[in-house]
Amino acid sequence: MKNRRGRLLNLCFLWLPLAYLAAQFAFPLASGLVMSLNAGGPSFANYSFVLHDRLFWHACSNNLIVAGLSLCLEFSLGLLFALLLHATRGRSLLVEISVLLPFLIPEIVFLSIARYILLPRGYLNGALLSVGLDGLGWLNPGSWLALLSVIVVDAWHVTPVVTLLLLGGLQTIPSELYEAAYLDGAGPVARLRYVTVPLLRPALFAALLLRGVDALRIFSTVLVLTGAEGAPVLSTYAYQLWSDALEPQIAMAASVMLALFIAALAAVVLGLRRRSGGRAETSWEYLTA
Amino acid sequence: MTIENRLLVFCRKALSAFVVTAGVIPLYLLTKQALTPELQSFAWPPVWFPKSLTLTYVKDVIASGELRTSLILSARVAITAALAATVLGTMLGYAMARHTRARALGLSALTATRLLPMIAAAMPLATILITLGLYDTPGGVGLALVHGALALPAAAILLFSAFVKIPIELEQAAYLDGASPLSIFLRLNLPQVRGAVAGAFVLSFLVSWDEFGFALLLQPTNRTLPPLIYYYTVFGDTGAASALALVSAVPVLIALVALRPVLLRGLSGRG
Repeated sequence: MKNRRGRLLNLCFLWLPLAYLAAQFAFPLASGLVMSLNAGGPSFANYSFVLHDRLFWHACSNNLIVAGLSLCLEFSLGLLFALLLHATRGRSLLVEISVLLPFLIPEIVFLSIARYILLPRGYLNGALLSVGLDGLGWLNPGSWLALLSVIVVDAWHVTPVVTLLLLGGLQTIPSELYEAAYLDGAGPVARLRYVTVPLLRPALFAALLLRGVDALRIFSTVLVLTGAEGAPVLSTYAYQLWSDALEPQIAMAASVMLALFIAALAAVVLGLRRRSGGRAETSWEYLTA
Repeated sequence: MTIENRLLVFCRKALSAFVVTAGVIPLYLLTKQALTPELQSFAWPPVWFPKSLTLTYVKDVIASGELRTSLILSARVAITAALAATVLGTMLGYAMARHTRARALGLSALTATRLLPMIAAAMPLATILITLGLYDTPGGVGLALVHGALALPAAAILLFSAFVKIPIELEQAAYLDGASPLSIFLRLNLPQVRGAVAGAFVLSFLVSWDEFGFALLLQPTNRTLPPLIYYYTVFGDTGAASALALVSAVPVLIALVALRPVLLRGLSGRG
């Protein structure tokens, strides 16, 4: 359809939504960058403050620990669940339950109840007491146990999403490949290693990108479970500077650093995927998860 | 072979038990806390099964005051956001389905949106909304507009995968018969993706209804449900927090049951 009205319609249809996104996200991001470079005149003073703040480095290391461990947990569990569901041609009801769980319970509701479970006089310690064990301070501010609680609760919440993404990837692998490998004498491990993993790579990369970014920008889990100071990560560090310390420009500098980390992670994952030969086109279906 | 199969069946049963437990226990405890007097929620050792039931907290949520105001605000914000995301998502999805260049551009923009750190956008956005007079308003317009953008990727992808399945020959035939591009879109394409439009609306509604970070930063006093649940949870009003959480989970449940097929299809990107 190469007429003028058709082209006009298409231009509107493409650029109106994109302009809306730019107005809501790109423009604030840019103005945040400008504000972060302003300390009574253009300067890097805010960044220098952040880089010399011990709490910032503490938040960075916490952020990396949380992201790393919860990704490991989610992906090993998610892959296990996906393989099991796939191998047994999991009945769709079970798939539906596991898919819908993260939606079924809104995030904040889930976190609220997780907090009640983990409180010193909560249900977990109550259960431990009833089998004769002493309770632990699962949410004690600043303890490694608090960090562990954040990791486990995060994994609990999103493992179903990872399972779904990987299951979607598994279902695209033609069964003839497995039959051929079986006839060539490949055992279950070899089939997993040489058929499943290489062909699952696009799904793995997409899930890794989405979940990796989610883990880096983690905010509500930490805030609800331990409070901004209990297990500080970059988001809560910036939030605290903004809302409690009333240092908006320094807070913007910290959040720009977080955005840079996320951009770096995205670049690494996308680069890895390109090198392994995945097509960029395959990524669209993961955007809804 | 049979041992392997039996092992698989056992593992699957264990898995389903795990999935159901992991999902059901939180929901059960929440319901219990919402429906029992606060004394039982604070008891030590914890009370696992309710001794007496009360509807006080649920009534409080529905009756009046802060809880009800926040319920109404949440609904208004979510409906506005869902409308914006559905309309714009339909447009973008159609453009992406018909043109490869638009598809590449749209995918990059949507991916970037999906990866955005909330805090880096929300803090400057608060400053901007203060200038515009849309910060922390009782109607929550500023928040609704952000939520619309936040839900746009999911809505656009859902519509895109629906539009892509309509054969282009239909459009070409209609064009030869003299139909204008706009009327082709409105009268030929749109009716065929009604299910996806409804799915996009519900999905966007849920994105907004569940959203916590932007709501916390942009509506500090006129709170939507998630920040209010957060405050009640952290500052210790167990009954109210649980009742509120329970009420806020109800529309989610209804929506998911009603639109399960559409949402599942969109989620898995297949079908």
